Amino acid sequence: MTELIELEIPALPEFVGIARMAVAALAGVRPGLEYDRVDDLRIVISEACTSAIEAFGTSAEPPARVRLRCQDGPDRLEVSVAGPAGAFDSAVASDGDDRDSGFRISLIRALVDEADVQTTPGGSELRFVVHRGSVAHAGDLPA
Amino acid sequence: MDLGLDVAERNGHAVLSVTGEVDVYTAPQFREQLIQLVDQGHRSIVVDLEGVEFLDSTGLGVLVGGLKRVRSHDGDLALVCTQRRILKVLEITGLTKVFTIHDSIDAAVGG
Repeated sequence: MTELIELEIPALPEFVGIARMAVAALAGVRPGLEYDRVDDLRIVISEACTSAIEAFGTSAEPPARVRLRCQDGPDRLEVSVAGPAGAFDSAVASDGDDRDSGFRISLIRALVDEADVQTTPGGSELRFVVHRGSVAHAGDLPA
Repeated sequence: MDLGLDVAERNGHAVLSVTGEVDVYTAPQFREQLIQLVDQGHRSIVVDLEGVEFLDSTGLGVLVGGLKRVRSHDGDLALVCTQRRILKVLEITGLTKVFTIHDSIDAAVGG
């Protein structure tokens, strides 16, 4: 049976670690994800939340919220991270200097089994999937 | 979530040992420390990543920024890393070709 777990964090840098920890803990509830894959998942959660937080900006008072929706099933864990419109487009274009967001999309593509960006009524959403019992390799995934 | 930054001088190299998690929250301190080292005149910087528990693209951006900055002063920035999970992140992003990566601080400052 697939369980739905939702988590919302303030769109502030100090909460990204909480999102990583929570989803990593969730990933370990069922068997089928090796420690390395949970580590990969932690990176992708971090990349997704960072994209959303950067897109929201940190000046809003009260801060915007980043919503994570996890659907945990016996064969797969699917996570959607919601941000403002265009939040995850920045993951494909470098914004120069020492913030090369090109790294971000490389990591996301390499570390999960499926990843796509969807436009939603309230903004956009990065959705990704890890299959339990599978191993993702850099370069295996379609662009 | 803590970030540790410890600077030592070895054989004319500035060795910056990083511990903890490097992400969007902690990266500004890390970036500031690298900028400071270059501003202080260090031209050979070794960043020791052996104590790093987590590193994402924001941390990679800081490393690349540091490399660019020190190279613009004809210096260099090398890494110390043997941790498979950190090396994996460097490999995926092609940065194993950009940075010289040593197995130990001794190896990095020996030459």
